[in-house]
This record gives sequence, C-alpha cells and structure tokens, in this order.
Amino acid sequence: MRTSVSILAVALEVMLILIIVGLTTGIANNYGKRMEGIGADIMVQSSNASVILALNNSPMPQSLAGKFAEIEGVQAVAPILALINSQSIGLDVIYGIDPASFFDVSGGFAFHDGRMFSEPSASSDQPVEILVDDWYAESKGVRVGDRVRLMDEEFTISGIVENGKGSRIFMPIRAAQEMTGQLDRASLFYVKLHNPDDVQQVIDRIHARTEFSTYKLTPMREFSSLLTPDNLPGWEAFNSAVVFVAAWIGVLVIFLSMYNAITERTREIGILRSLGASKSYIVRLILQESFALSFLGVVAGLAGSLLVERFIRAAFPQIVVMITPEWIVKAAIFAVLSGLIGSLYPSLKAAAQDPVEALAYE
Amino acid sequence: MSILLEAIDLRKTYKTGKIIVEALRGVNLRVREGEFAAIMGPSGCGKSTLMHVLGAMAKATSGKVLIDGQDISNMSDSQRTEVRRKKLGFVFQKLNLLPALTARANIDVARQIHGGGRDAESHDRLADILRLLRIEDKMDRKPAELSGGEQQRVAIARAVVNSPAIVLADEPTGALDSRNSEIVLDMFRELNRKFKQTVLLVTHNPELASYADRLIEMRDGVVVRDDSEPANWRRGLSPTQTGASAL
Repeated sequence: MRTSVSILAVALEVMLILIIVGLTTGIANNYGKRMEGIGADIMVQSSNASVILALNNSPMPQSLAGKFAEIEGVQAVAPILALINSQSIGLDVIYGIDPASFFDVSGGFAFHDGRMFSEPSASSDQPVEILVDDWYAESKGVRVGDRVRLMDEEFTISGIVENGKGSRIFMPIRAAQEMTGQLDRASLFYVKLHNPDDVQQVIDRIHARTEFSTYKLTPMREFSSLLTPDNLPGWEAFNSAVVFVAAWIGVLVIFLSMYNAITERTREIGILRSLGASKSYIVRLILQESFALSFLGVVAGLAGSLLVERFIRAAFPQIVVMITPEWIVKAAIFAVLSGLIGSLYPSLKAAAQDPVEALAYE
Repeated sequence: MSILLEAIDLRKTYKTGKIIVEALRGVNLRVREGEFAAIMGPSGCGKSTLMHVLGAMAKATSGKVLIDGQDISNMSDSQRTEVRRKKLGFVFQKLNLLPALTARANIDVARQIHGGGRDAESHDRLADILRLLRIEDKMDRKPAELSGGEQQRVAIARAVVNSPAIVLADEPTGALDSRNSEIVLDMFRELNRKFKQTVLLVTHNPELASYADRLIEMRDGVVVRDDSEPANWRRGLSPTQTGASAL
C-alpha cells in the first residue's frame, strides 16, 4: 500500500509537470502555427486589443479594410470578427470572415470535405453555414451536413478544411456581425503585402495617416515568433511554479512514505546493524528503495501522461498537449531528485538508530 | 587455546528517568577459541546487557572488552560496526529474519554486508552449514513459510556463514517450544564440534544451559559462577559447593 501510494505520488508529480507544461507549450505553439498559416504580414487591431486571443471589445469599422488596401505596398486586407464560443471547454475562437478577402490573404482553404459556406439570406430560416477544421471535426465527431450549437445558435457544417488558418471555426462575417449586434464591425484585419520585406515601411505609412495612428499594427512574423513558449510573458515563471509544486508533492510524499517505512522496519534496521551493516549501507539501502520507487513513479507518470494526452487529443483535439523529450527528461530528473531529497532525512535517521534499541522495538 | 573474548571489570549503568540502574557491576570473563559457553541467570541479572556490550552493540560505562585481542571499549560506532561485521555473529531470541526476503536472501544479506562469501570455499562452507542445520531444502521460503525452529536455524546459518570468531546467541530458544529448542541447541553444539565455532549462549533456562561445555552464572550484574565442569552444574550444585569462583 505504502509503495503504491509513493509510486502514485511520484507519477502524479510527473504527470502534473508533463501535462501542464505540455498544455501551455502545446497551446502556444499551435496558436503560433495557426497564426503563421494565415499568410498575412501585418495584423491590425484597435489600441486596447488582446494580442493573444486577437479579441477586443471595441471593434473597428469594417470599411477600414478598403482604406488599408489603398496604402502603397498592401496587396490584400481581410477583416475578421472574432467571437468566442463560451460553451466550449476548449475556448473556441470563431472567425467571422469575408471569404473573398480571406482567400486573397491566406491563399484559400484546403477542403477535406464539403464546400465553402454560403452567405446567409435574410429570408432563409435555415441555420447559418460554417466551416470547421479537421481537428475540430475529429474531436466533435461531426461531418459535413451536421448541425452544431455554438453561442446558443444552431449552425450547419458546410465544409471541413485543413487546420492552420487562424481559427478552427469560420462563419460568414455578416452572420457574426448580426449575431453579436456589431454590424459592419471587425475586431482585426489581416494585411498581406506585395513584398513581405516591406513590413516596416507599410506600418510607417499606415501610422503616418492621422486616422490610423492609434491602431495597433503588429508584424505577423514577429507575432508568430512571440508565440513560442519562451517568449510568452510569465511562461517561465508559471512552469517554474508548476515544477516547484509538483516537486514538493514528491518530496513530501516520499518523505512521509520513507519515514513511515523506517518506523515500520526499525527491527529490520536493527538486524542489519547487528550484522555489521554500516550507517552508509543503511542510507544507501533506503535511497536505493526511494530511487526504485521514484523510477517506477516516473514510468507510471509518463504512461499516465501519454494516456491523458491521448484522452485530451480525442476529447478536445483543439487542445494540444506537447509532451517533449526535453520535458520528459526534466520531469524524470525532478521526480527522482525529489524522491532522493524526500528520503534523505529518513535514511539518516534510520542509520543513526541504536542497534540495541532497534532490536528491542516492537 | 587463545582467548577470543575478554571482559575486564566491565560496568554498565543506565539512567531511566531519575533512577540509575547498574546493569553490569564489574564483570570479568574470558572465552577461549572453540568454547561453547552459556551465560545463565534470572531475568534482569544483566546477561543481555553483557551480551550487547560483548557484541559491540553497546558501549560499557567502564572496563574493557577485548575481542580477538582488540580493545573495543573506546571504539567509535563505525569501528564497532566493523568488529560486528568481521568478528561476530548474532542469534536473537525473537525470530529476527528479514520478513520480505527468502531464507537464502537473508543469509546472502549477511554475506553481502560482510563483503565476501562468493568464493568456492565459502560456498562449500554454506552448503555444509545448511546440511548440518537441515535447512538446505528451505532456502527459497520466506520466514512466514517456515516454522519457528526452522527460522531460528536460518538465523544460525546467517550468524555463522561468514565464519565469525564468536557467535553470540541471546536466548535463541526463547520463542521456541521445547522440541525445537532442543533441535536448535543440538545445532549449536554440532557447529561448535564440527566447525570449532566459538559460541556464547545466553539463557535463563538451566536445562538449556546444560548443552554448553561451560556455565557462567550471573546475578545482579556480576558473574557468580564460572564452571567448566559440566558434571558439577548438571547435577544442579551451587557455586559454593563446586568451589568455582567468579573471575
């Protein structure tokens, strides 16, 4: 029982590290890749917009798209109204897009099945059509023609597209505007340039016009590179906190377990001491046991993490858990180290036991 | 025969709360190589304390203990541990085998701690010991699968496997019935005779002490009788009648 609990605790420590770090890494990396996949060179947002979710509560006029398109060096501009589907555990971001301009910027969708959504007509009582990407379709088990509920509305899936174009769900921008009462508004614009190397010049040109001076213009290359975990503000601190908490769980459980073990085995330690076992032999014996428990915990934790990762992938494919070899090694080292640290005091206490008293222990 | 174990004016006092207990009050004793001696006395007479001090498991308050000519009185804990490892073998009253290990593994632990026992000679010696103790077919069993007598025989095998200078047995039959007690004591005698193994046995039972060749009787922390003439004490004569004196 004690052994099982110890192994379980170390496994939990490993899983905590791998899953939480894997989640933050996976989400950041995947988001970065999807943003890169849009193919835009500049993202335009209102001044108070969130960089990460590309959302804001003060959208801009959609007509700005035409004005941006007039700027020298700009090839195409795609207005986006980004919505959040709060019914989803995975926090789905839905892009309301204008297909033509989005195609001009992104090069279009690669369809796995179905077709582009049709623009909703005011007279039709049919649900609005949407596109979903292959990850979303797989996770929700939906196919073309299926109806899905998002934001308390029913939609029909008209097509399933290759993932990697910013969002996992796309709907007509007009429908998104009507649903949210934000007619002719856009939360961001993706801007494609004739020459991607002219990013800074074009940004300067846009900012030079007084009416655009307050907008936030972000080069997409810079934005994507910022979305690596190492560049995310607080990522390092967050991971350190996770590792710290997980390692302490390991230290404390192994400490309690080994402390309990040496109490249970007082007589056995006395026997070994009477046989001439040195203090270092006793310490080594207990550290070896702790190492074995930690090792088994690491194996169980790794297996558990992979199972959880598979479960998350199956249940919420839009959530990416990245279990990297680097973090597997790190988690294993932390687990084994915490096991050894946790068992150090009990092992020293065991070694210091008086053999006569230990043998008399009931 | 040379003297393997010698106690000179050995004293040991304990403090229990405010009470000072004099467990040993000047014990003098010599055990020669190849002897099978029994220390006998009632409970609380200090025989177990003497065993612990002679066995390098506890330090005397004063006096000297010489094991194989080596004074262990002022040795550090690690030095005394080494003496136990190299020179001594223990058999205890309680069945002190490691419960998770098989009989063979229990013996192997002692060999591993000793740091030897992997050569052919040691292997043959172990085989002889197991045969003598009649436990060769019990080696793969765990302690819980052995009778009390069998467990104690495994403990004896473990105590003698490294060819210690002296085997100290503290009430080795205390947890056994009379039949198994006889078997175990026969084994000690056999080991003493066949392997010239020096054995110092502690018991409170005069009948069991009669298996030894020498009787050392203790009372109140001192040796009151030391008699190497079995005929005397097997007839139950008192120390004054035998004329033996404590050293």
